[in-house]
Amino acid sequence: MRINPGKCIGCGQCRVFCTMGCIAFVRKEKGGQVQCRVDEDECVDCEVCLRAKACPTDALEQPPAVWPRSVRGTFSNPLVTHKETKVPGRGTEEIKTNDVTNRYKHGYVGISAELGRPVLGARLRDAERVFMALAPLAVEFEKQNPLTSLLADPATGKLKEDVLDEKVLSCIVETVAPIERAAEILDALDKVAGEIESVFSVDIISRVADDLSVPALEMLKRGKRPYAPNGKINIGLGRLFIKGAGC
Amino acid sequence: MSHTLHRQGTADNLSGDYVLLAMSAKGVNAVNSSYALKDFFSIINKHDWANMGEVKVGGAYIASFQDIVGGVRDTSVAHAVFRDKDEFARVIAQVKKADLGLSVTISGLLGNLNETLEANGIKPHTVEVSLGIKGKTERLPHGDLLQITTMCGHGMVSQALVRKTLVDIKRGRVSLEKAANLLATPCACGIFNPRRAQLILEELMDTWCTDEP
Repeated sequence: MRINPGKCIGCGQCRVFCTMGCIAFVRKEKGGQVQCRVDEDECVDCEVCLRAKACPTDALEQPPAVWPRSVRGTFSNPLVTHKETKVPGRGTEEIKTNDVTNRYKHGYVGISAELGRPVLGARLRDAERVFMALAPLAVEFEKQNPLTSLLADPATGKLKEDVLDEKVLSCIVETVAPIERAAEILDALDKVAGEIESVFSVDIISRVADDLSVPALEMLKRGKRPYAPNGKINIGLGRLFIKGAGC
Repeated sequence: MSHTLHRQGTADNLSGDYVLLAMSAKGVNAVNSSYALKDFFSIINKHDWANMGEVKVGGAYIASFQDIVGGVRDTSVAHAVFRDKDEFARVIAQVKKADLGLSVTISGLLGNLNETLEANGIKPHTVEVSLGIKGKTERLPHGDLLQITTMCGHGMVSQALVRKTLVDIKRGRVSLEKAANLLATPCACGIFNPRRAQLILEELMDTWCTDEP
């Protein structure tokens, strides 16, 4: 995002909408006109300020982004649909359609680390650190996840060199593994947490067993790993044939 | 895409926060699913919702119901938020009865969700929980702010906007309700719960200063 200095009147109405807090007041010389300026290196191109229509002079402008800058908008602006997944946002359909896709099978867990969430955003270099922490465990990185497509070498977890300094609002390292591997994956995430510059939010996914127990939650309790009291449940109403679809 | 997970809060204020979303699966049953998604929104609109939306159009605090439904496509994810557990249970009952075939995911306190499902004779299929935040957590803003900002899982609600609304409320420039509704506007999916935000803001009025980190 940029602010056109020929239009900006320095009112600052845009500043509070900035998710990265990277719009500052500046002036060229003492006593001169105050204006707002975006720190483009910190900006993640989420376009929240633009959509807020806060600028009274239409000074906010989103320049066309070329590679590798273009990854910022695709990971940070949920209105952008990824070419790879055809899903708006940073991740996949994950549990939301598991009742028809069976992406997460009995005996398996999904474990994700969402870099930059909450609030801070993250450089993709942090995502690489997490990938490299998990790659030696030979976990399966979710192929439908747009971040996975930026891997230069899935075996080592190295990302494409030219994207490492790009900053995004958030991006998700998404894995699927047998539940027996869950503890070592979580241990690896705990360890790499000390090596990153930002934060990441961790989640775990599990099918519900026939007796209504949730194997992943049982595993967490046994390992004395705390988890939030609130969560998500796919309630199993999905079917292959949708009402009114005529197929 | 865990945008309705990782909502932070107290057991008390999270008990007034229930998210519901419906979608078809790309490459499986998405073709012509828009009709069912529109039916889903029609069910939602017959109840006392706190927010609803579709990301390409926006949430109910920037778009009309007609615009939201008009923007529904086969690839849409339909979202809605409720503040009352009993009303949420009634919605779940109606969605089940409609038998749309869409995949439906709900978010909230797990104990309350399970009670709702049991009352409606629904067996949960898959569960996802948050294991918290790792890394440089000392860089995060105060937890009071995170209770509000994390209601938009895409991170569209800035901490600066929350701080500004707190100052504006304290100075009498805006009502609690209007401030909460303003905070809902950047959330394009319509999963931000402004009624819960209002309760949190009201609580913070007594304890919050403007110089917290």
